[in-house]
Amino acid sequence: MRAFLAGARVQLRFMTAYPDSLIPFFTSPLFTIVFLLVFKHAGRPDLTAYAAIAPVFIALWWLALFNSGWTVTMERWNGTLEMLVASPSSFGAVIFGRIAATTAIGTVSFFEAWLVARLIFGTTVTIHHWGAFLLTVVATLAAMAGTAVGMAALFVLARNAVTFSNSASYPFYVLGGILVPVSLLPHWVRPLSDVVFLSWAADLLRATLRVGPIHQFWPHLGMVVLLGACGYAVGLFALRVILVRVRESGELSTT
Amino acid sequence: MEAGAAVDVRELRRVFTPRKREPVVALDGVSLTIPAGEVHGMLGPNGAGKTTLVKILSTVLLPTSGTAQVLGHDVVEETRAVRPLIGIVFGGERGLYTRLSARQNLEYWGALYRLPSATIKERSAALLERVGLTERADQRAEEFSRGMKQRLHLARGLMGDAKVLFLDEPTTGMDPLAAREFRRLIAELKGEGRTILLTTHDMVEAESVCDRVTLIDRGRLLATETPRTLGRLISRFQRIDVTGADEALLAEVTALPGVSSATRQADGSTRIEVSEEGATAVVLRRLVDGGVTDLQTSLPSLEEVYVQTIGERGLGV
Repeated sequence: MRAFLAGARVQLRFMTAYPDSLIPFFTSPLFTIVFLLVFKHAGRPDLTAYAAIAPVFIALWWLALFNSGWTVTMERWNGTLEMLVASPSSFGAVIFGRIAATTAIGTVSFFEAWLVARLIFGTTVTIHHWGAFLLTVVATLAAMAGTAVGMAALFVLARNAVTFSNSASYPFYVLGGILVPVSLLPHWVRPLSDVVFLSWAADLLRATLRVGPIHQFWPHLGMVVLLGACGYAVGLFALRVILVRVRESGELSTT
Repeated sequence: MEAGAAVDVRELRRVFTPRKREPVVALDGVSLTIPAGEVHGMLGPNGAGKTTLVKILSTVLLPTSGTAQVLGHDVVEETRAVRPLIGIVFGGERGLYTRLSARQNLEYWGALYRLPSATIKERSAALLERVGLTERADQRAEEFSRGMKQRLHLARGLMGDAKVLFLDEPTTGMDPLAAREFRRLIAELKGEGRTILLTTHDMVEAESVCDRVTLIDRGRLLATETPRTLGRLISRFQRIDVTGADEALLAEVTALPGVSSATRQADGSTRIEVSEEGATAVVLRRLVDGGVTDLQTSLPSLEEVYVQTIGERGLGV
């Protein structure tokens, strides 16, 4: 827990020291405008929930993945990666703390996106199920951070983790159905989508914005938690294996 | 493992196998014991294996074979026990979060060493004071001079109250005053009973702060002795600088048993090198008998030991 908190605390400091890591806060309102314009001119006001949620997911997932790669890359550039690994704290827990702090701050994009919807399009995004909404947000943030730890393991192996992390976000946007419903994807893609926690989380969050009961809330929330926990567990295991491998090969500090 | 040893290395070997290139033997059967409380210098040229040894001891690199223990804990099998006991300080610009302040750097490392918050605040303040950075504590590290960064490096290495410190060329690029101050700090740390393994190119540094020095080259240990003993090892290579001796006398002296060379220096003097114990006295007597009054003998410095032992490979190392 101390390692997690140490990571979270230092990440908050880094976010003020590296303002470029806050780019999603500038892009999120722009995405909202684009998506709302498209749906409005397509005559699909029923898809407003998609337009309201998608920019937030893009921001959060970008923050999680980018920071996962950026953390590994920056530690290498700074020459601190080896010392971090040689410290008594779990490397995975530190990374988890850093990404969790980032995604928690990323929730600001909810307010940005919905404020833009209100001010520019006069569209009010209403949360009809507050409890479910908050639970889903918390589970989603944890799942994002957990999954990003798994990605960090891969980034340790990559020479240029930042480039990798930038491009790695796009498949998740598609598989997560965060803008285009998964039901519109080819059939053979859907099983893949089912193992991406984003698809469950996005469905749930959209459901909390609609009137009426949420279909199978708890099982779906369970899937978000389960997939996130699996991502974290696999990530920790992969990190352990990969750290042994790079300690063997001597490539830990390779940039 | 020898009793009382802080570092115990047995037949340590490390081979790097780069892709599409021949394997490189970085350490080749290294055995070394450093008693607790010793400042041990590791002296060698680039690529000698110094940093590889430090990396293995600090658990970030695995040996190909052999064993290494720190305070009785195996660095491969017992990393969790080793890591809280060690501190690592690398030289140069890297190793710090440059956009964080000195204090924030230390606080982060304190948290990684699982210290309670109160201890972190107390220790970071004390260490900043100790390394003379209190007034710059809240300034970003990127604004620091190299010497200040090095001092911050050392403070960071001490945040976990390390019993064994690995200092990998810590004074690289420091100006002489800063380096002297740094050595004073090392002496203080020794006084506190910490064990220090210091890798360096700097002979003066090794001579001034180390209890013992190991010469290493191409992954092999060449000798481990006190700086003074290492100097004595090649006392047979003692030098005599002579001014005013004529060519005939010099030729006669050069022919004496135990004299290995006589070389004309840029300032007009001649440097006579002897290679046998006792030869110096004979050479001096002959020179004085020959009417030479301007002569000077000197003991070898550690640098000469280094050059004599490892060879004058210059930039080829």
